[in-house]
Amino acid sequence: MEFDLSQQQSEVLASVRTLLSRHAGPDHLQELGGDAPAYDVALDDALEAVGFGTIGADADSGPLDAALVVEEVARALGSVAFGARALIAVGLGVADLPRPIALVSATHRGPARFAADARTLLIVDPASNSAGVRVVGVEPGTFGRVRSRFGFPFGDVDEVPSGGDVLAGVSAQRALAWWHVSLALEMVGSMRAALDLTVHYVSERKQFGRAIGSFQVVQHRLADLTVLTDGARYLALEAAFHAAPEQSAAIALVHASTVARRFPTELHQMSGAIGFATEYPLHLSTMRLPALLAEARAMSSAERDLVALRWPGSTP
Amino acid sequence: MEFGWSDEDATFRKELRSFIASELDGGWDGAVRHLGSPENVAHSIIFNARLAERGWLTPHWPAEHGGGKSTPWQHIIMGEELWSIGEPRGPQYMNVNWIGPSIMAHGTPEQKALHLPLIAAGKVIWCQGFSEPDAGSDLASLRTRAERDGDEYVVNGQKVWTSYASVADYCYLLVRTNPLAERHLGISVLLVPTSTPGLKITDVGSMVGEHAFHELFFDDMRVPVSCRLGAEDEGWAVVREALSYERVGAPRYARAAFQLDATMCWARDNGVTLSAATVERVGQACASCAAARLLAYRVMDERSKGLPPGPSGNIARAAMVNAERLVGQCVLELQGPEAMRSGSVADEQFRKSLAAGIAAGSYETQMNLVARLRLNLPKG
Repeated sequence: MEFDLSQQQSEVLASVRTLLSRHAGPDHLQELGGDAPAYDVALDDALEAVGFGTIGADADSGPLDAALVVEEVARALGSVAFGARALIAVGLGVADLPRPIALVSATHRGPARFAADARTLLIVDPASNSAGVRVVGVEPGTFGRVRSRFGFPFGDVDEVPSGGDVLAGVSAQRALAWWHVSLALEMVGSMRAALDLTVHYVSERKQFGRAIGSFQVVQHRLADLTVLTDGARYLALEAAFHAAPEQSAAIALVHASTVARRFPTELHQMSGAIGFATEYPLHLSTMRLPALLAEARAMSSAERDLVALRWPGSTP
Repeated sequence: MEFGWSDEDATFRKELRSFIASELDGGWDGAVRHLGSPENVAHSIIFNARLAERGWLTPHWPAEHGGGKSTPWQHIIMGEELWSIGEPRGPQYMNVNWIGPSIMAHGTPEQKALHLPLIAAGKVIWCQGFSEPDAGSDLASLRTRAERDGDEYVVNGQKVWTSYASVADYCYLLVRTNPLAERHLGISVLLVPTSTPGLKITDVGSMVGEHAFHELFFDDMRVPVSCRLGAEDEGWAVVREALSYERVGAPRYARAAFQLDATMCWARDNGVTLSAATVERVGQACASCAAARLLAYRVMDERSKGLPPGPSGNIARAAMVNAERLVGQCVLELQGPEAMRSGSVADEQFRKSLAAGIAAGSYETQMNLVARLRLNLPKG
């Protein structure tokens, strides 16, 4: 048990932050389309070129290191399917799948994150014993681009393709567990970005002759969100460290989701009108949270998964 | 950063579990125990002696004070395992967690020689004389007066909401020694036997449990100056350090998780059908307990490195309160009408959850400190 970053982890984070300061961040995302961004092929390639995509499989690092990078990419508002790449594909032992990778459940219908740009569709089917996870190669543009302003590029998956290659020896539950962890980390990254921005804003913004962040009603709400976000962060990192045990992964997503549902309302309320301005970056992270929550809901109920795993036989 | 247990700590947890299983036979119903009840305290004296024999009552203390060669993590492993079954150490958890360490840090050689072996052997119970009728969350406004008279202090005033006082041998008492100084500066700590003439202890009836709270009345109670812990008028620094330990010393998330587990098993055994809404709330409560656990570990990590207490302690404490409250609501919902029976798990947990955000510093105080120390938000 060690909460400080190791020397190596610090170096990895310093290096990814340098990369993200050049290839990501609010201004960069605005150039890509802001809350309706294009897929960031350049960032995807840059992360890959220095080996971050496979850091989870390196001999001297592991899934926790990959998780730390996934969180950073989300904090910097990267418009890339990096969690699917660095945690899910690597975690399932298929690090060589063509990028970008989009994930959908077998029963998915409608907008799916990154599907319009995907070269690989990973299809997860908990109801199937023989084909829990299928890999389908697709050409970018196979799924039409969805008009959406929830911070990610979406493709319209009207019908999940059949066929493809079944991932031998990989259960849908393993894929779901990694998906849980990845989504939780992306939520945490977005929440931390939004929280930092808002703390800065309320510290500077003066009304009634004082910084609005000096009012206790604002302080307590931000403190509350800090407690919840810290908890969600360590749960997701712990689950990644242990290579996504199903129960820990579900716990991480349940907590992150519970917290994420509170974020947009709370932070926009504290930020007032400036929070709605296109040029102000708050909406870039807050509006991603409903997208991540929708993705989590579309695949399963993490709460239900958790209860069934922890107390077998308690749910019908 | 890593989240694994060392082999040594994992083995310790295993050995501790098997010890607990053999020590606490079928007669121990941890789910509905009241920490400060006379029966629980009587049981705890025997249980603590057995723990002390193995060096497990104070494994995290330095060897010179009766400690073992444990890792810092064994302290919280011990807390988790024992809190999750209803804390058979009784009020003793408080002594080993922060009263002993406070005496180690600030005590005279005589105070250490008297108190530490007694605590390490599990032979004494302490209470903490902090809150007063007009000093609750604003502890520094305390007024219980200690006036110097030669080699003695003469104490007059009143404490209230004091847990374990009726069964305690000693009181860790906060008094005002200098009423003219700035309010944080004139406070001192006294280590007082509860048998001292001039101290009267009465029960305060409460909805949380029998013998949960007491009032302490001091009427010209004379205490030797040698009972003062730390320098005169400088007790605030001593108690602040102690409180930072208190906040995470009791792993209440472990107990909350245990209560949720127990109630879910009860629901399954009794054929209770869970609605989708209930499943959602149970999942969230379960996850809150897990979040509080990791945030408490972060504090232990800082503590094991000798770092000064920081906002992580306030964050962990707030997370524990959240977990206790969510579990309190869940177990009520799960048990339904059965929860109404006195002694039901839901009855016990729900009442405790109402007190969770008050004891050991109010939830609002934790929020103030997180806002100031972690977020650096401007003062009003």
